[in-house]
Amino acid sequence: MRISTSVCLLLTIAIVTPAAADPPDPKLDAAVHAILRTKCLSCHDATTQESDLSLENQASMLEGGKASGPAVIPGDSAKSPLILYLRGEKQPQMPEGEDPLPEEEIKLIARWIDEMPRPNTPKAAGFWPWTPLQRPTLPEVKNTASVANPIDAFVLAQLQQRGIEPAPLVGKRELFRRLHYSATGLPPTPASSEEFVHSDSPTAYAEAIERVLDDPAYGEHWGRLWLDLARYSDTRGGAIDYSRPHMWRYRDYVIRAFNQDRPYDRFIREQLAGDAYPTYGTEAKLGLGFLAQWVQVERDSGELARRDYLNDVVSTTSAVFLGMTFECAECHDHKYDPIRQRDYFRFEAFFASTVSKVESLPFSQYEAPKLNPERWDAHKKSWAETLEKRAKWHKDVKEEFKQRIAKRRQLQSPADLKDLIVPVTVGEVRDAVDAGRLFTKEEQALYKLIGRQSARFANPNSPDYYLEKAHSAGTSQLANQVATHILAGGNYKLKGERVEPGFPSAITGNYDAVKLRQLGGKPRKILADWIANPDNPLTARVLVNRLWQHHFGTGLVVTPSDFGKNGSGTVHQDLLDWLATEFIDSGWSIKHIHRLILSSNVFRQSTRHPRYREYQNVDPANKYLWVRAPVRLQGEAIRDSLLAASGELNREMGRPPYFPVADDGLLKSAPTWWEPSELEERSRRTVYMLQSRSFPLPMMKVFDGRNMDESCPDRGMTTVTPQVFTLFNSPFSHARSHALATRIIREVGHDPARQVDLAFRLVFQRTPPAADRKRCISFLRSAEELAQATASATVDKPIDPPAGGTLADLCLVLFNMNEFIYLD
Amino acid sequence: MSKGEFQFCRKTESPVLGGLGRRDFLYRFGHGLGGIALASLLDQNGAMAAAPTKSLGENPLTPKRGHHAAKAKACIFLFMSGAPSQMDTFDPKPKLSEYHGRAVHRVYGSLEKRIYVGSPYKFARHGKCGMEISEIFPHLATCADDLAVVRSLHTSAQSHTTATFFMNTGAFIPGSPSLGAWLLYGLGTENQDLPAYVVLPDKRGVFGGAINWANGYLPASYQGTQLNSVGTPIVDLAPPAGVTRSQQRANLDLLRDLNDSSLGPDNPNLDLIARMRNYEQAFRMQTAVPEALGIDSEPRETQELYGLDDKITESVGRKCLMARRLVERGVRFVQIYVDGWDSHDKIASEHRRRGYETDKPIAGLLKDLKRRGLLDETLVVWGGEFGRTADNSMLFFRTDPGRDHNKSAMVMWLAGGGIKGGTVVGETNELGTKAAENVYHTYDVHSTILRQMGLDDMKLTYYHAGRFKRLTDLGGRLIKEIV
Repeated sequence: MRISTSVCLLLTIAIVTPAAADPPDPKLDAAVHAILRTKCLSCHDATTQESDLSLENQASMLEGGKASGPAVIPGDSAKSPLILYLRGEKQPQMPEGEDPLPEEEIKLIARWIDEMPRPNTPKAAGFWPWTPLQRPTLPEVKNTASVANPIDAFVLAQLQQRGIEPAPLVGKRELFRRLHYSATGLPPTPASSEEFVHSDSPTAYAEAIERVLDDPAYGEHWGRLWLDLARYSDTRGGAIDYSRPHMWRYRDYVIRAFNQDRPYDRFIREQLAGDAYPTYGTEAKLGLGFLAQWVQVERDSGELARRDYLNDVVSTTSAVFLGMTFECAECHDHKYDPIRQRDYFRFEAFFASTVSKVESLPFSQYEAPKLNPERWDAHKKSWAETLEKRAKWHKDVKEEFKQRIAKRRQLQSPADLKDLIVPVTVGEVRDAVDAGRLFTKEEQALYKLIGRQSARFANPNSPDYYLEKAHSAGTSQLANQVATHILAGGNYKLKGERVEPGFPSAITGNYDAVKLRQLGGKPRKILADWIANPDNPLTARVLVNRLWQHHFGTGLVVTPSDFGKNGSGTVHQDLLDWLATEFIDSGWSIKHIHRLILSSNVFRQSTRHPRYREYQNVDPANKYLWVRAPVRLQGEAIRDSLLAASGELNREMGRPPYFPVADDGLLKSAPTWWEPSELEERSRRTVYMLQSRSFPLPMMKVFDGRNMDESCPDRGMTTVTPQVFTLFNSPFSHARSHALATRIIREVGHDPARQVDLAFRLVFQRTPPAADRKRCISFLRSAEELAQATASATVDKPIDPPAGGTLADLCLVLFNMNEFIYLD
Repeated sequence: MSKGEFQFCRKTESPVLGGLGRRDFLYRFGHGLGGIALASLLDQNGAMAAAPTKSLGENPLTPKRGHHAAKAKACIFLFMSGAPSQMDTFDPKPKLSEYHGRAVHRVYGSLEKRIYVGSPYKFARHGKCGMEISEIFPHLATCADDLAVVRSLHTSAQSHTTATFFMNTGAFIPGSPSLGAWLLYGLGTENQDLPAYVVLPDKRGVFGGAINWANGYLPASYQGTQLNSVGTPIVDLAPPAGVTRSQQRANLDLLRDLNDSSLGPDNPNLDLIARMRNYEQAFRMQTAVPEALGIDSEPRETQELYGLDDKITESVGRKCLMARRLVERGVRFVQIYVDGWDSHDKIASEHRRRGYETDKPIAGLLKDLKRRGLLDETLVVWGGEFGRTADNSMLFFRTDPGRDHNKSAMVMWLAGGGIKGGTVVGETNELGTKAAENVYHTYDVHSTILRQMGLDDMKLTYYHAGRFKRLTDLGGRLIKEIV
């Protein structure tokens, strides 16, 4: 049976059950729950809980009640108190004071309990990712030749158990391309690819790994993936999408942290409590941008707005660092994971005194302004000039409009009152422009444009980008006095019991409040220390899984921000645990894990397998990693690759965001407005592009761009028609195609065969097979025609003359090939 | 802080870790998408399908069967942005007219003095049903027997942006999918050559813009497509100026050949096949979309029915006519925005203007759908983001009275798509300030729309951030009087 894509997203909830589990019987399940609902839940649901027992779900049954402990013993109905009470073997017989259940119903429940997976392995005693981390021993494998490092041993052991052969290694050219995209999000240069392919050195690949990890593009790529998690945006969100003009400093901070391979435990501390570590300096305070990314929309009350902030911070922190879905527990106990509502608010209490703020923070020596002061000053000056010029222009136009109205008024007024003309107000200008009698359609549009350019709302054209300020978080005395209460149903008006800061009980095993004074320091610091602690079972597991995810397209745990019961779980627990312990033992070095993954044979597997069809029946989802799944590039990588191939990519790092060219029609009806930056500026990597919540760039959006309003752990990978419009029709790809064509002509002149070869090398780092070359040459019009066609063209005027068959057409076609956006 | 200062659980057994078993999960949520989800969640052996591969090369917009038989195939949502007043449109309040000019004995946050405002409009009974409709809708009044008016609605927000967003997505904070996105998720679309979810915004702007037709946490394929009133209707639908269709064809042919050559016979990536199909489809869309929007080809009589011959009604008329042409061609959801209902003052003139602007086009749409036999399968919904107050500030009352925002009472109407025409549901209180009898929430409107389209809002769920989310949060009620 085929699974539709929409449903396959639902499948992220797939639950891994112990291998011994019987096939489930949903009908039985439904029947049992129907019985429980009608006969038992009136006294034993989550709210009534007579004798502290709730039979609402399996978790609560296992938790049990006061009288007899767990109500069910999986796999053993005869000993399960639920059955004993129902049969009257324990008193009082249930349902109390009602007729006993008919025997067939009890039998049904008994069967249900018997089929419940028995927690018979040591792992199942606790819930795997929440139990302490231990370094697993390396498994024995038969074919040690295909083990490049322990990662392979873990994977191979599982495959051998199932009699599956792993796929062969991928070719060198594909590997090199894969390596570059995996580490940097950019293609390799044709020359370096050539060199690698032809090198016989046994250390060539290891050296290549070091080179890509040292490339600053590494930090840009992996930093961007972190920014996805951090719900990064240069604006606040909602309709009044005010600018957050200093947020780029957090973006640059993240990129820097990855490039420096900053220990992850420190990276955590900086982002959650950078203000509490005085020795960390400015850099740590920049990390606090993490706590300033919430969607700030207009709310009916200040309290609601505060709830928005706290909910954002709690759900993001728990999801990003711990892979826990705390969000559910704001309103009620988590339905599947042992996260109580109390846990939610105890967690929230760590942030009770936290407020987001904009603070003055001098630029440090690591930041763009100090690294390249000349460029910085030039940009700062040009931005100021742009704004000034615009302001002056606005003033002039408005003044002229005003004069026109005043003049008319003077003409119309009686002769003896000509000296007494009342000045024209702004409102009158607006009304007059609206009415349109004195003004042309163009002038009306101009007036509207001016309105948008000077708008307070949704205007990313902030004058503040170049100020020495940062979006960060701090501790407010005022907020500090606000106690944290459990809120019934998450409703801020229904304050319940007061709670103190505390760590999730499912992990600590208790509800003890954290002894703030004893531990010394801000509550946030204590939380950060707890998360960044080697003993925390989740932190390292969650992070190494994220690293794996972006090298393979999917994580070992497929739901990277949900390590709970409804998460996917994984059959690779040992591998993940091994990577996590390696990670911690290496001093939380992210690059160390990259090295391990990149040098493993699992990473080097081909996407083809001689026994593909056969194994697909055995393990259709490729859970056991017998083949590599093809990966589609994310929107950012696609855009960067177009620029890289055309030779236009500007590798300058850092600084405030640039404004891309956006479709005029769309931008006109959006609440926001900007004018595009210069071509050179907007040819920088996409990570430096303005991230506007109210107006995500359509090109990013169609390639499953992230929803910037919340933490995005995983991009989708859909294949939809609007992607064609973007790659095949957009002025952006046409301009890149033309630039590439120009580059090719510049480098190899007008010989079609050489042009075709170079085009393939620049786009795919390979030459075409003879048949393809022939096909392409026959596609191109004659050299004379081409020379004529390209001579008169410029980047701004890409297709001229529009007869087709140009080199630019060929380049456009190459950009649209599967190979361009799918990594083999 | 050194290792070990925190106590981590060392227990061998945790009583709460049982969690929700697979069966429990199936029981609760297996009915997610009707038969589809449950069926697909189980592989041949009946075991829960394993970790998903991200894409299986299938078109996410393939038509799907809903949860039950659908009354309506398509929905046209006429969003009256700015919030029309209930007591000046479909909810006559004679008592309020008596109170006109009297001071309100109530404090509104500040000590501002507020004055009751009677409706400046006359109401009359229309149709066989005798429904009372304001004089600002003379044409719509002739369709009274097709309308089901819900007078007793209320909503949960009363600032424009938040309430508009709430009306469209059932959530306060951006990031959630819109009604249209949910419909596509549940139903797919009939015509793959046209965007399945079309938004025709008002050129005056829409509160919040694109967040109102976003896919939120649903896959990107379910987002609304905004059709521009200027230039090409869809971003990059057409190639840059000067690129001819034959040139594109030649490029496509080359692309296909090169892709085939590099695909190889044993390539397992189904996405690649889907992708080439998309190129052909996009090529077709380039002509299909302009064709669908080509209202100039409509007979003069039809154009006049929608008011295209009148400068004031032309803009809304064009959109309504486009909407008909789109649903006729299998588009699932069309949303039209008409801004300008926010009459804090000058309600006597402004609502009349809005009425004039929309009355003939909307009535034309209903009549046209009906005579073509499309009304039965097309659900038409009319309404704003909230209702308006019965009173006004002293300042505006003295100059030219209007009404302020009110989330406690609002009116909407539905027509076609299995809706019982000529129905009036519920009542507001005497002065129309609060839904009083048979009260419904906007969630109930969502629930009813989904239900008419063949979906059950309780079953239409999507797993996100650790839980199954839905359009109506904890669920809406069917407005049973109108179906």
